Amino acid sequence: METITKVSIKDKIISEFELSKNSLFGDSTIRKNALDSFAKLGIPGRKSEEYKYVNMELALKGDFAFSSPNPFAAQQTRLSEGQVETASILKTAIVVVIENGVFSANNSRLGVLPKGLIIQNISDATNLDSFKAHYSNYADVASDAFIALNTALASGGVFIHVAKSAVIELPIHIIHINTCSVPTIVNARNLVVVEENAQTTIVESFVVSSNSTKVFNNALSEIVVAANANVKHYKIQDEGDVGNLVNTTQVYQKKQSVFSTNNLTLSGSLVRNNLTIVLDDEFIESHLNGLYLTKGTQVVDNHTLVDHRKPNCNSNELYKGIIDEKSAATFNGKIYVRKDAQKTNAFQSNKNILLSDDGTINTKPQLEIYADDVKCSHGTSTGKLDEDQVFYLRARGLSEASAKKLLMHAFASEVVNTVELEELKSYLEAEISNRFE
Amino acid sequence: MNNTNSSVTDIESDNAPKGLNEDIVRFISKKKNEPEWMLEYRLKAFAYWKTLEEPTWAHVSYKKPDFQDIIYYSAPKPKKELKSLDEVDPELLKTFEKLGISLEEQKRLSGVESRIAVDAVIDSVSVKTTFKETLSEKGIIFCSFSEAVQEHPDLIKKYMGTVVPYTDNFYAALNAAVFSDGSFCYIPKGVRCPMELSTYFRINASGTGQFERTLLIADEGAYVSYLEGCTAPMRDENQLHAAVVEIVTHKNAEVKYSTVQNWYPGDKNGKGGIFNFVTKRGICLEDNSKISWTQVETGSAVTWKYPSVILKGDNSIGEFYSVAVTNNYQQADTGTKMMHLGKNTRSTIISKGISAGFSNNSYRGLVRIAKGASNARNFSQCDSLLMGDKCGAHTFPYIEIKDKTAIVEHEATTSKIGEDQIFYCKQRGIDTEKAIGLIVNGYCKEVLNQLPMEFAVEAQKLLAVSLEGSVG
Repeated sequence: METITKVSIKDKIISEFELSKNSLFGDSTIRKNALDSFAKLGIPGRKSEEYKYVNMELALKGDFAFSSPNPFAAQQTRLSEGQVETASILKTAIVVVIENGVFSANNSRLGVLPKGLIIQNISDATNLDSFKAHYSNYADVASDAFIALNTALASGGVFIHVAKSAVIELPIHIIHINTCSVPTIVNARNLVVVEENAQTTIVESFVVSSNSTKVFNNALSEIVVAANANVKHYKIQDEGDVGNLVNTTQVYQKKQSVFSTNNLTLSGSLVRNNLTIVLDDEFIESHLNGLYLTKGTQVVDNHTLVDHRKPNCNSNELYKGIIDEKSAATFNGKIYVRKDAQKTNAFQSNKNILLSDDGTINTKPQLEIYADDVKCSHGTSTGKLDEDQVFYLRARGLSEASAKKLLMHAFASEVVNTVELEELKSYLEAEISNRFE
Repeated sequence: MNNTNSSVTDIESDNAPKGLNEDIVRFISKKKNEPEWMLEYRLKAFAYWKTLEEPTWAHVSYKKPDFQDIIYYSAPKPKKELKSLDEVDPELLKTFEKLGISLEEQKRLSGVESRIAVDAVIDSVSVKTTFKETLSEKGIIFCSFSEAVQEHPDLIKKYMGTVVPYTDNFYAALNAAVFSDGSFCYIPKGVRCPMELSTYFRINASGTGQFERTLLIADEGAYVSYLEGCTAPMRDENQLHAAVVEIVTHKNAEVKYSTVQNWYPGDKNGKGGIFNFVTKRGICLEDNSKISWTQVETGSAVTWKYPSVILKGDNSIGEFYSVAVTNNYQQADTGTKMMHLGKNTRSTIISKGISAGFSNNSYRGLVRIAKGASNARNFSQCDSLLMGDKCGAHTFPYIEIKDKTAIVEHEATTSKIGEDQIFYCKQRGIDTEKAIGLIVNGYCKEVLNQLPMEFAVEAQKLLAVSLEGSVG
């Protein structure tokens, strides 16, 4: 009898590392360490508490190639000018294109960079002091298998540095675009360092080209916000049916800094967001907003962790979702207040609307608190569209469909209104309208 | 209550040897003169238990008990039929008296309107069941579990393990294999139980684990309010307690189950204390039935307890009211599960956690709305109060919804006692300690109001005692 030996995805990843380790950028000990950690953790299964509601093993089933830093690899050459154009939501922005996990200089539109701003291929930045001081310092490879995987196999990405007191007016738009011709695991890695008193706005979007095959995108961004700095961060996830996205954002904040993020999930077969914000000094402010609109058989899993390490900080979190058809959405938010973090104010809210009989919502808001002089709360609610509200609008002459549309718009607007970029806001509003047609 | 706990009742125990194996299971079964089917059930559970590993997901850390270092059976001997309280071992009565819940008092209460029937359990064997006659007139069966096995095997066979099967979890399997005794209660069709039924559990002999099993059945249209109180004398060793409680309600029936748990929490340095790993679950089997859990948890070194309700019948109602207090090095991971299966089901969860000293107090709860459980409604509120900066309060709610007509809300807050509140009290001549007692009682009022009167008074005192010395 013939025996078929199937190579597990974990073993494949480990052997891929052996093959490609010499062509990858950066410190080899960091990579080796990450791989060891990955070998120990493995792909999290359904029994894993952190990945309880999302089937990672299923998403990684089948044969995968790996994103490679080699620019001559076949899958690197499939991007056309028009595709970049479509993906550029912002008319005036510094556009960085990351194609299949590698910084694409040809397609990026950097123009003349304003003073104090460095944007370059992450694999060319490894000798910079600011790279060495921060790279892989925040995303802990021991804590999560996908952080470990990314750190071990990161093929490329962008390094952004905003110098002390520089105020960057133009938003920086990082477009992660996948154009793979065969199913591929893409490990893009970005590092954003914003120095003291500096300000910037960063938009990350995740899309695939129309000719792309199934892709497993394991993207990781580390963002360092130094004292008094102000960073606005947006993520737009729109990878369609072929996209499987694990998106880790690791934020580290210092004294009196302000960081706000908006996580907007529009499509994707599977989207898993791991957002961790560490507030490692006093008087820090963090704002986390999220909106997810799911349909079909989509699975969206939002994981957030706000780690209050020092006193006198504020964090505010609002995630909203509209779930339709057979899709499933999860919100798992954790607020962690350490022993020293007195006078912490931390608030978290998650609201969902379930439109269909086959949809699923799982929410798991968690508070873990070790300091006593704090004000922390979380609230979550799930329901259908309020029939009284629908009735009110219909009594005023609106059709049932447009009444519902209006209410869903109103529901989503609480998050959309926190978007400060006008262009982005109107883009989102249009997307939401299309969705409810 | 601290001082009253510090004594051990001298009743000779008829112990099984230490350790756990098939022979011990057989020994327990034989000791209790059980029929063959019961022994088979125990052995099946034991075989299954051996395949399991201890769960580690709870937010608690402790030295795992050595299951081979526990005495699984200890019964006070000798046992003869007692007609009046005078015949009860005076040592035992003294212990009860020290706790302020003496049988004498219960007896006296019997002359008054509010009556409580007590099924006293000392180290796993029912010593005395009072008020049996009054109850049997109504057709109510209220006896020890082993008695029920002998006298009502059909009921036991029909219901035992239907709500908490031995495959449910590690401790439920262990309990099914080695349970020593417990209480059994059956309320027949249309009967409203005329008095509060009550069991006082005590763990007594050193090094014995207590594994009781309670089964409560309310037939069509029946009502019963059941009280469970627990307290244990001071012991240095950690003692294991793994009980199982099952409740079944039929059409239009209602069960109210109240617990005050005051087991020895260990000393100020976290030495000793009870490990309390309990599986409690009720099922609203048929339409319009209701199960309500109320608990006041002040004792135990480690608590791991999730009284749950399966809302199977249409229009059924589940409730969970809880106050959990942890002080010194106590750890509690407690909450509830509400499984909505039937249509128009409703559930309410009110949980109040108070942590002081070096303790950790977690709420962990699940609300699940199954597909087709239309118009389900849940409201949860979990508040935590922190006293001091060395303790922790945590909330881990799980909400899983598969039906679009469900409306589910969850709220949680964490804060400390306001300085202005204490100031206000002090200004009016109330010292800090008393002020805190007052504020804490107010904070827990929603839950304490659910308790029967006698219990509410005891619970209030307990809260004050548990938090003694936690401030200033």
